[in-house]
Amino acid sequence: MANSNLPRRIIKETQRLLSEPAPGISASPSEDNMRYFNVMILGPTQSPYEGGVFKLELFLPEEYPMAAPKVRFLTKIYHPNIDKLGRICLDILKDKWSPALQIRTVLLSIQALLSAPNPDDPLSENIAKHWKTNEAEAVETAKEWTRLYASGA
Amino acid sequence: MESEDDFDMQDANESAEDDDFYSGGDDGDDVGPAYAFDSDDADDADDYEFIDNETDDSDDLASHRQQNFSILSEADIRQRQEEDIIRVSSVLSISKVSATVLLRFYNWSVSKVHDEWFADEENVRKAVGLLDKPAVQFPDAKELTCGICFETYPWDRLHAAACGHPFCNICWAGYIGTAINDGPGCLVLRCPDPSCGAAVGQDMIDLLASGEDKEKYYRYFIRSYVEDNRKTKWCPAPGCDYAVDFVVGSGNFDVTCRCSHSFCWNCTEEAHRPVDCDTVSKWVLKNSAESENMNWILANSKPCPRCKRPIEKNQGCMHMTCTPPCKFEFCWLCLGAWTDHGERTGGFYACNRYETAKQEGVYDECEKRREMAKNSLEKYTHYYERWATNQSSRQKALADLQQMQTVHLEKLSDLQCQPESQLKFVTEAWLQIVECRRVLKWTYAYGYYLPEHEHGKRQFFEYLQGEAESGLERLHQCAEKELQVYLNAEGPMKEFNEFRTKLAGLTSVTRNYFENLVRALENGLSDVDTHVPCNRSGSSKSLGGGSSRGRRSKGSTSRSSGPNKNVDDSSHWSCDQCTYANANSATTCAMCQHPR
Repeated sequence: MANSNLPRRIIKETQRLLSEPAPGISASPSEDNMRYFNVMILGPTQSPYEGGVFKLELFLPEEYPMAAPKVRFLTKIYHPNIDKLGRICLDILKDKWSPALQIRTVLLSIQALLSAPNPDDPLSENIAKHWKTNEAEAVETAKEWTRLYASGA
Repeated sequence: MESEDDFDMQDANESAEDDDFYSGGDDGDDVGPAYAFDSDDADDADDYEFIDNETDDSDDLASHRQQNFSILSEADIRQRQEEDIIRVSSVLSISKVSATVLLRFYNWSVSKVHDEWFADEENVRKAVGLLDKPAVQFPDAKELTCGICFETYPWDRLHAAACGHPFCNICWAGYIGTAINDGPGCLVLRCPDPSCGAAVGQDMIDLLASGEDKEKYYRYFIRSYVEDNRKTKWCPAPGCDYAVDFVVGSGNFDVTCRCSHSFCWNCTEEAHRPVDCDTVSKWVLKNSAESENMNWILANSKPCPRCKRPIEKNQGCMHMTCTPPCKFEFCWLCLGAWTDHGERTGGFYACNRYETAKQEGVYDECEKRREMAKNSLEKYTHYYERWATNQSSRQKALADLQQMQTVHLEKLSDLQCQPESQLKFVTEAWLQIVECRRVLKWTYAYGYYLPEHEHGKRQFFEYLQGEAESGLERLHQCAEKELQVYLNAEGPMKEFNEFRTKLAGLTSVTRNYFENLVRALENGLSDVDTHVPCNRSGSSKSLGGGSSRGRRSKGSTSRSSGPNKNVDDSSHWSCDQCTYANANSATTCAMCQHPR
């Protein structure tokens, strides 16, 4: 019923996400709510998250695409721009959102954020501090967390 | 993450403020256009940037205050905005829409736009989002797909900014509407394409936004001209829609809006000349923090009769013991030593000394005040009380002035057979009172922060303040009380002309006193070494209320007392009329021009 008047854009985006998925990313809509997506992102190679499978949820609000999708990590992750509730600090999810962006571009940006953490603009103060004072150790912790929580269970 | 636009704006604001108050000269050509009030003087406006406060002439000081600002109604703002846009558009040979984008980006500074543009047009175009040529060719097809809703439309149902990225009209309306409802950021809107920085100008808004959104947009647009422009500010009075345009660098920040609200253009607190903004903000903060404390302390505590620390009574018994090291034992009711309590005071637990004492008038106002003044807030209380009293006195005077203008003047005109044009002196007196109460009020904030150890300055300040205060008291008294006689009279009274002379005289004398005070405070009491107050050095140590009361009586008798009595020191003579201490070399009073 909520899906009956789903905008054409969302339908098209969903179709394309399913037919031509981006490498390392999968997104499929929930059966009872076409605005709710179950997302999986593979940890990028040569990052502390390599080998991990990260689950996320993505929701398209009523105003979408004029307003940004709401995305958060469900899998625990040690990353300076992601807090313990899985919320993500990413400009295109906030003030840099543009209706010309898409679910695909958002997920690609999140994947890129895993490759390039930005401790200068932290969401998690402690992790960012760790990252800046002792990067090697922080990377080890991130790897450890990836093993513990994102090993594709 | 900080958006780039915000960052740029902040940066521009900061640098704008940097040179705002100190140089002011760089945009002299910016001040030009028609003044709402006195367009004749527009030429003079430039001069003030160089005059500052060097001149000593008091008339000049007064005229300064008239000319360094102008009041703008909404229509005036629109007109100026339009004029600036046309100016930039014609000088740079660009469209009005582009000129608007540029002006908004550079906070409505025409000269800044010109400077930046002619220094590096290409860079400016990039930063602002004014593309020279389209980033992509608007596709040459009958049907196009919108980049937002993915629907396909005939080409004429899509639009693009200068960049050429096509979106359908419905999505444009949604995009623009969302931006407008998000706030003033809609004024710097860019193309929805994430890789494109092309500005979305007013032409697009006009074409694509809904009526309601457009209305909001133009509200932000006019607000931006006032709020982002470093020369203008809204009048902070509630409900007032005027803006004030200020000639930067003209020294004195006090402005009066057409709604009659006077405020400091710099800090937008109410007008506080001659006290500087820092002192005022400290004082206002202190009042808001301190007054609650103080009210609570006054309502719930009494000072220990021995050590004066405030004590809260939190148990039922009247036998109080102060905390160590004082440990004084006393009676809460009479504040007398507990050792005095016994049969003769009516028993320990029924102390009646308080009642008896009250009946005998021992605990009169003065006593209470003295007791209170002894506690730790003594100094603050002193200044706060005087500050607040002058504040309320000013409010009362404003109401009286209003009453005078609407009711009493007409009545007075009838009773005393005087045309209303001949009664201007009454209004002038009241205006002077209102202004002086304001100045006097702020001098108490000044006094509070004047360092204790600067004895010379304190003494000089308190002398000037005391003189000004007693002058004002005489004037206020005359305008309030003596005028009543003529208002209640049965018919014309021949003494009315004398009253006119007296009130007008007091008005001008008081004005002089206050100008003296203002000038001295504005130059940081730097005259302190040359102007030692000789004839009052004794009394000037006591402050405010008490001393002014003393002077008031002195002032009112000074007319009858001979000039000799007023000379306390051989190097000065005291004016017969206004009591000002003049140098011996002067033959007429420096204050009121009364001959010696």
